[in-house]
Amino acid sequence: MAASEVGGGMRGEGRHRRLIGLEDGRVVASARLTTGQLSKEQTMDKPSPLGFGLGLRPVYYEDILERNPNVDWFEVLSENYMVPGGRPLAMLERIRADYPIVMHGVSMSIASTAPLDVEYLKALKELADRFQPEWISDHLCWTGVHGVNLHDLLPIPYTSEALNHIVERIRRVQDFLGRRIAIENVSSYVTFTESEMDEWTFIREMAVRADCWLLLDVNNVFVSSFNHSFDRASYIDAVPVDRVVQFHLAGHSEAETHKIDTHDQPICEEVWLLYEKACRRFGSISTMIERDGNFPPFDEPLAELERARSIARAASHAIDEVTA
Amino acid sequence: MTLAELQTKFQAGILENDRSVLASIADSRKTDRATLFTVYYDAYRMRLAEFLSNDFPILRTSLGDEAFGRLVEDYILSAPSRQRNARWYGARLPYFMHETAPWRANRGAIDLARFERALSDAFDAADAPLSSIDALADICAEDWPRIAFEFDPSLMLLDLAGGTAQIYAALAAEEEPPAIQQGEGAFLFWRKDGHSFYRALSEDERLALMEARQGKKFSDICTLLAYQGGDENVTQRVAGFLSQWFADGLVTRLSIRE
Repeated sequence: MAASEVGGGMRGEGRHRRLIGLEDGRVVASARLTTGQLSKEQTMDKPSPLGFGLGLRPVYYEDILERNPNVDWFEVLSENYMVPGGRPLAMLERIRADYPIVMHGVSMSIASTAPLDVEYLKALKELADRFQPEWISDHLCWTGVHGVNLHDLLPIPYTSEALNHIVERIRRVQDFLGRRIAIENVSSYVTFTESEMDEWTFIREMAVRADCWLLLDVNNVFVSSFNHSFDRASYIDAVPVDRVVQFHLAGHSEAETHKIDTHDQPICEEVWLLYEKACRRFGSISTMIERDGNFPPFDEPLAELERARSIARAASHAIDEVTA
Repeated sequence: MTLAELQTKFQAGILENDRSVLASIADSRKTDRATLFTVYYDAYRMRLAEFLSNDFPILRTSLGDEAFGRLVEDYILSAPSRQRNARWYGARLPYFMHETAPWRANRGAIDLARFERALSDAFDAADAPLSSIDALADICAEDWPRIAFEFDPSLMLLDLAGGTAQIYAALAAEEEPPAIQQGEGAFLFWRKDGHSFYRALSEDERLALMEARQGKKFSDICTLLAYQGGDENVTQRVAGFLSQWFADGLVTRLSIRE
């Protein structure tokens, strides 16, 4: 039985996951899944899938409020709402009243060797207490050291040292926030000679050891696979099924020798194909589309969301047929 | 090399174009490591420039793309961002212009930057419930001299070069801006119903508002204005200001001071 089919069979019922989990298509004993810093209340139950969402961006506020679009949930950029007051928070209040939200940050700098920014974490917790997101996510990256913020999602070497460092920091953040966080794979443009393992091996180890969720950005897998000439299917197949709570889809830009994760283009055909593969492996996963520039009319992201729905539905039927 | 050392070198590569980090970066099958690292080097500058363009669109129009580009470059080089939130990266720009050649010679540009900054700050300043003008009706006549006021957190007063607001309005409407004028004028910035507003203040309203913000009571404000201007109708004028402050949505609380 292929891993994707096992993943599909996991949908819906969380009950068994307290005893048995699946990782990379293998059955994993419960002891491994429930060790670490889980309290009795925190089990391996993944949050229920939210359906198909969009990134909440100010340019679409009016469309969302006036058209009541077929969007199941919104992902909000946490930092955009870490402001004292005014329209951003008022709009989020209104939209939160009608939709589930997920908070997605860019400043946790989980892989940085600088100390964790406790003030940031306090602000994040305060925002989460107010808006009750389904989960909180950030990126497998660092944003600066020595007090500087480079405002970018910077790459890491895949070493044991980095793994130990990041696992420890994720655990500390989860303790502080009182919940698991989801960590997203980023697009990268360089690889380090120091790396000792593949990105996907690193991510799998990180998720298990830190006991965190994963946000699998399908476009980032595609962009990085092009830039670093790795097999994207192997990447998808290596990510543990029981850890992934969310997919990202987005467009990117093309340079001659590399691709750049710009979120300002439509989702490309290769990413749709990879998404289809991910749906078959991971089953029903909350999916959202990121758009951060070159904003088209709201109908375009809505149409892309319909396409995601249709791909996920077809993948689900395919899984059902195989498992029947 | 430790992770900390690698990150320090990587950051130096972005901030100072120190290329020693390239020794830790591999060529890809398609291109060389220097080309790949440049993606991060360029992205840093482009992203910060984008923050500033978003925060100061009218300043950019006023200066033109070329001069604004030079300003952005100077600002980026002057210091790296230490803000965890991009929202505040441009906060220092008016001060930077004020203290740095050649920008410090351009009072009009500095005040346009201050103007746009004030609109941004009003936009997401803290929320506070407003007081209705009906609250005044509940105060009996003998208590009026002792009324003190509290104001919306978004409220801000700036003294700006003459004509700054007209230049801003013309450029925002894509019209030919007037020339900068001699002297200064006082401006009030605040947020109402989710939108930032501004308006000019007369000298006596400016004075009254400054006093009121400091917690001075109604009678003290009238006394000061009478002393400054010697106007016989000063009480009526201050009452008129007060009425306007309520209409603008500036007053959050009234209290009676002992």
